[in-house]
Amino acid sequence: MVASLIHPLNIFIVGLGGGFVMPLLYRLGKTWLVAGFFVALAGITAISGLSFLGLLQGGETIEILTAGARPPVSISLRFGMSEGFFTFSVNLVALLGALQLWKRLRGNYAALLLYLILVMGINGMVMTRDLFDLFVFLEIVSIATYGLLGLDRAPAALSAAFKYIMATVVASTFFLLGTVLIYYVTGTLNIDDLIVGRAAITGPIGATALLLVLACLIIELKPFPANGWGLDVYETAPSGIAAMVSVGVSAGVFFSLLKLLPLFEGQLDLIAISGGVTFLFSNLIGLKQSKVQRLLGYSSIGQMGLLTLALALLQQIGAQASVPLVVGGLFVNHLLAKAGLFWFAGLARCTTIEGGLISLARRPLMIGLLGLFLVAIAGLPPFPGFWAKWELVMRLAATGKLPWIVVILVGSLLEAAYMFHWFTKALQPPFDETTTTWDGPALLPVLGTAALLVATGVVAAHFSGIRSAWIFAPLAVGIALYGLDSLPGRVKVALMLVTVLLVGGWLAFAATGIAWLFAVLLLAGSLVIAAAGLYREDIRPGYYPLLAVLLLSIPALLRSTTSLEFFFSWEIITLASCFLIANSRGGGPFVLTFLLFSLLSAFFVLAGFASIASVSGTTDLDALLTRGPEATVAFILLATGFLIKAGAVGMHVWLPGAYAEADDDLTAILSGVVSKVAIFGLLIGTYVSIRSETGLALAHAVAWIGMLTTITGALLALTEDDFKRLLAYSSMSQLGYIITATALMSHLGWVTALYLVANHMMVKGILFLALASVILRTGKRRFAETGGLRRTMPVTFATVLIAIVSMSGLPPLMGFGGKWLLLDAMADKGWYLLAAAALFATFLGFLYMIRLVSGLFFGAAKLDQREICEAPSALLVPQFILIAGIVVLSLYPKLLKDPVSAVIDPQFAATLVWKSISLQAIYDYWNPAPVMIVAVMVAAALFALAWIAYRSRRNDQANLDRFFIFWRPAMSHNLPPVAEIFWRGVAGVALGIATNVRLIYTGNGQTYVFYVLLYVLAFYFTSTGLGGVIPE
Amino acid sequence: MIRRVIVLFVVGLFAIVFARMIGDYSELQGLRPLAEYFVSRGPVELGVPNIVTGILITYRGFDTLGEVAVLFMVAASVGLLLKKDGQAADTTPADAEEQRPPSEIVSSGATVLLPVIFAFGAYVIMNGHLSAGGGFQGGAIVASGSMLMLLARPDSSLNVAVLSVIESFAGVIYVCIGILGLVLAGGFLDGRFLPLGEFGAFFSAGAVPVISTLLGIKVGAELSVIIDRFRS
Amino acid sequence: MLTGLPLSTILLVTGFGLALIGIWGILAHRHLMRIIIGFVLLDTGFHIVMVATGYVTGGTAPIVDKAFSTAEAMHSTIDPVPSALVVTAIVIGMSVTAVMLAFAIRLYESKKTLSIDAFTESKW
Repeated sequence: MVASLIHPLNIFIVGLGGGFVMPLLYRLGKTWLVAGFFVALAGITAISGLSFLGLLQGGETIEILTAGARPPVSISLRFGMSEGFFTFSVNLVALLGALQLWKRLRGNYAALLLYLILVMGINGMVMTRDLFDLFVFLEIVSIATYGLLGLDRAPAALSAAFKYIMATVVASTFFLLGTVLIYYVTGTLNIDDLIVGRAAITGPIGATALLLVLACLIIELKPFPANGWGLDVYETAPSGIAAMVSVGVSAGVFFSLLKLLPLFEGQLDLIAISGGVTFLFSNLIGLKQSKVQRLLGYSSIGQMGLLTLALALLQQIGAQASVPLVVGGLFVNHLLAKAGLFWFAGLARCTTIEGGLISLARRPLMIGLLGLFLVAIAGLPPFPGFWAKWELVMRLAATGKLPWIVVILVGSLLEAAYMFHWFTKALQPPFDETTTTWDGPALLPVLGTAALLVATGVVAAHFSGIRSAWIFAPLAVGIALYGLDSLPGRVKVALMLVTVLLVGGWLAFAATGIAWLFAVLLLAGSLVIAAAGLYREDIRPGYYPLLAVLLLSIPALLRSTTSLEFFFSWEIITLASCFLIANSRGGGPFVLTFLLFSLLSAFFVLAGFASIASVSGTTDLDALLTRGPEATVAFILLATGFLIKAGAVGMHVWLPGAYAEADDDLTAILSGVVSKVAIFGLLIGTYVSIRSETGLALAHAVAWIGMLTTITGALLALTEDDFKRLLAYSSMSQLGYIITATALMSHLGWVTALYLVANHMMVKGILFLALASVILRTGKRRFAETGGLRRTMPVTFATVLIAIVSMSGLPPLMGFGGKWLLLDAMADKGWYLLAAAALFATFLGFLYMIRLVSGLFFGAAKLDQREICEAPSALLVPQFILIAGIVVLSLYPKLLKDPVSAVIDPQFAATLVWKSISLQAIYDYWNPAPVMIVAVMVAAALFALAWIAYRSRRNDQANLDRFFIFWRPAMSHNLPPVAEIFWRGVAGVALGIATNVRLIYTGNGQTYVFYVLLYVLAFYFTSTGLGGVIPE
Repeated sequence: MIRRVIVLFVVGLFAIVFARMIGDYSELQGLRPLAEYFVSRGPVELGVPNIVTGILITYRGFDTLGEVAVLFMVAASVGLLLKKDGQAADTTPADAEEQRPPSEIVSSGATVLLPVIFAFGAYVIMNGHLSAGGGFQGGAIVASGSMLMLLARPDSSLNVAVLSVIESFAGVIYVCIGILGLVLAGGFLDGRFLPLGEFGAFFSAGAVPVISTLLGIKVGAELSVIIDRFRS
Repeated sequence: MLTGLPLSTILLVTGFGLALIGIWGILAHRHLMRIIIGFVLLDTGFHIVMVATGYVTGGTAPIVDKAFSTAEAMHSTIDPVPSALVVTAIVIGMSVTAVMLAFAIRLYESKKTLSIDAFTESKW
């Protein structure tokens, strides 16, 4: 009895019966109406859910027969795994959607019955196995939509609805014709029979019939450019209805395409191209959009394009096994995230991205929800879309479909661009805030979808073969800490430090080799620097949970054994840093650039991993560390990705803004710790390169990129008046050295690289914390407004001095051991030009370091000295610890050297041996003095030249301050911001194309129908060719 | 002008698509297996002489139920759309003045024809299982009768409330009959839980005539409601 | 000489011809009512095509009775399936038309015009 109650057929009985009974209940009373509606809707959801559960527990696919006869005589339906998954997820969202839409549905029995039958119709589209019945359900869904669109009486909404009707009626009319013609050719309407007898559907009538059916399904999915009607509806409909059209109706149509796909074997290319073009162009045009619902419309259409593309490609390469993860993952991701976003937009009453009636800026929960949905839509972890995209890219790479990977990644980047543009706009405080209160219950559906997204993300991870729960540890800790976010700021710092120590330690100690070394080093460094957070008394909502996620993801990344785990943690690091910057006071404008470059980097890394997997057939990271097949392409992709993230020259435009505008102690972590993750990636990538013969030439190129980064960074640092930005550029410059060292691909080079990593982490930690002290005490960030602080902040002055000495590479501190090794290693490799460039860079480095010290601590005091006192101990103690670290490692280099050689030796033993001498021997015989003396002399000579040039112009009182003021304009004039101009150009071109392409959306319904008809014709003629255009 | 040329071009392309199909078309020379099954087994299994009705109401009854849902939704949507809101109410009196009384032919024609039309509609509905006709066709005839009535007597109004209750009940009963089929006979919408009776008799063919009648009532009521809503 | 053509071909040509006129109506006319009529023509044209494709040479209506036994019917009726489908299709087509007309009334009330060019609020 119970079994028969949850039979899927009851979905239709409850849906239709409930619909028919609505007017009666309306007459009985309001309570009856409400109860009846929700009983029916919840009943549908429960039936689909329980039936799906039954299948999951090993039940058999349920064949639903009607009229007491077997198909093809009567109509049959099917409820299998995929049907169960689609119907249950759609029903669940529809149920939540009804709650969200309740204001409009309430008391309106016509709207209620339309909504109910709409949901039932979508279930029917998914389940039916009869082609004509599919048409009937398509019409049920369409007409219910038309009716619901009539809920809004605004002229624009009515016009949009009419356009929608015109276009979909054309599509369904052709669908009808196609269906009947298929019957004429085959004599059956049963989909299974049609698939079996696919070969018989030929000839002009059969082929046309199939094409008509296909074209109409595609059109219902709103392909570019025949989709203006869909966009208008998304823009003007009530947000709940738009959400239903976007996720519910599209789900039904998409599933129809999925089940009919075996009929369209010959058109897979066409379907893929249609999907790809739609994905690319709707996301491109989305860039210019500022109305929220239309923006979501573009994204929605893009996602459907991606789904179509993925489906066709997987079918084409015979990877049906991946369909559940890829299509299911992308689908459920779009379903939940897009519904959530539409509802959110409705709830927050956002009409344009600049903000709506309700400001989000001061509502952390709302901002958090928006962020979560946007992350999901962009296909980032931990949500299902991430796992699906990974699998899709892996499959495509394995079969050599590289152009499609490019399409998918470019489209995703564009989508992320406009979606997060909205996010950054939403963060900005409003012009005038109206005090409108939230509807508490209305927030429930949004929260519900958010929770579902997280849950499905974990399930999708399981499907991706993730068996290690620890990769979720950082996020779990973040969520737990967020629960305690109302505690006082300093308690939260302590709590965060303890958890990061415990969990991070647990994560780090499972790492091996170089990764272990990095993990221990970075974890220790991050704990010390993060402890400086104690100097802030305020609550900093959301800051500490995010910071914990960031700091824990680093050991998690280093512990990874597969590229998927690596990439997962990589993306989490990106996101955590991005949201931390967004959380900072002035971070808003720079978040988008930071995120886009990070994503660009991530996509290169993803492509690189995919390329390796396609060559070696495994995603094990160990496979990278052993000899394998040649993989030049993979190396280029990986190196590009990691170089972008490291802020290499040309890609550095994201760096200064993000570093300078992040909170002061956060910058210390970003520069000191997080930037090293990119270096680790580069090391991993270089292993790949070592396998190939061509690797050496490429490595030379990377070395030059590193050196140019160093020089550019130093020059840019010299042009800065803002000392925090100066230090940001200095960070870029120092990373350049490390890149060069890595690229040497010799034992010596790598030892140097690791040495520099440790040094840079501690030095930058100290310097940024010291600047935090200065900014805290003076409130200024410009050299012009500070100076003479050596008397008022003597301790800070001392720490800065020590750090600068270590950074510059002067003896006796740690940096000394690094930089001169580097010069020597380059000379040894015969890269003399590079070595000369390094000398020049050293000179520039000295200059900006002098500038920093002199500008801050010497010269005339420009502020009232009495108001300034020494930095708080919360900031000083971490600096002392870092100094202690520098001193210890300077005195006992073996502490670092031994583990370094231990982890590097085994890998290089097989490939590269430095002069056939072991590491120990190198240090014993190596004498840095000559190299150093040469370098310092060159630097001094250059400085003398510069000074003379300055004195020859300015004969009056010369001092250091004026020296820099003299050279600064000269340098900024001769250093056009080439990279910035270039990237602005790229953005400009993209926006320009978007501006022009979107002119096709004239707003005229007739034009849209015209596009639809042309689309049908295009489908037809590209498939059949123009042969015999003039009929015989 | 350019516009017309482009439109003509599109129409021309469609003409090519259609012409290719006409060129390929050849008339069927006999029934295919499925159709043959319907023709040979349909009357025996269902006891319905009119095979089309048998298919509509039983074998493809699921479609028909969907179709009923479509009509039902249209009645609801049209009601939703044309419902008067405050502003529209002000304009109604002005429109009313322009309304002319119906002509002699219409009003006297209605008196003569109305009973005939309704009777014919009822006949078509009731005999759907035996000969050409059925619930939809008959329902449409009934609705055309209501339309004539409304034209002839513009002041008269349909009792929309009653009609909508009727259509709801008809729908609910239709679904219930479907469930009865599921419980008592072979499956959902299988009408054979009532005796098939004598082939060709009025009371025969299981629940087919019952469903047909319900359909007729429902379609007639719904179309009348739709017409009434458009009138205002 | 049209009589040389089979009956169903004539119907087919008629149906497709109507559909073409419908497409012309949808694309070339600006007036909403005319556009809706275009849709109706397109729809009706396809309905005629549907019926035509079910025709079997020499067939008659698929209604058996005492005078027309099942055995006879096997050889001389038309395919009943398209006829059954067309009933559903007609009802659905009518429904869609009703909804379009209702929207047209609303649109007219909002702008006091029925020219399709007037309803271009949302674009780009």
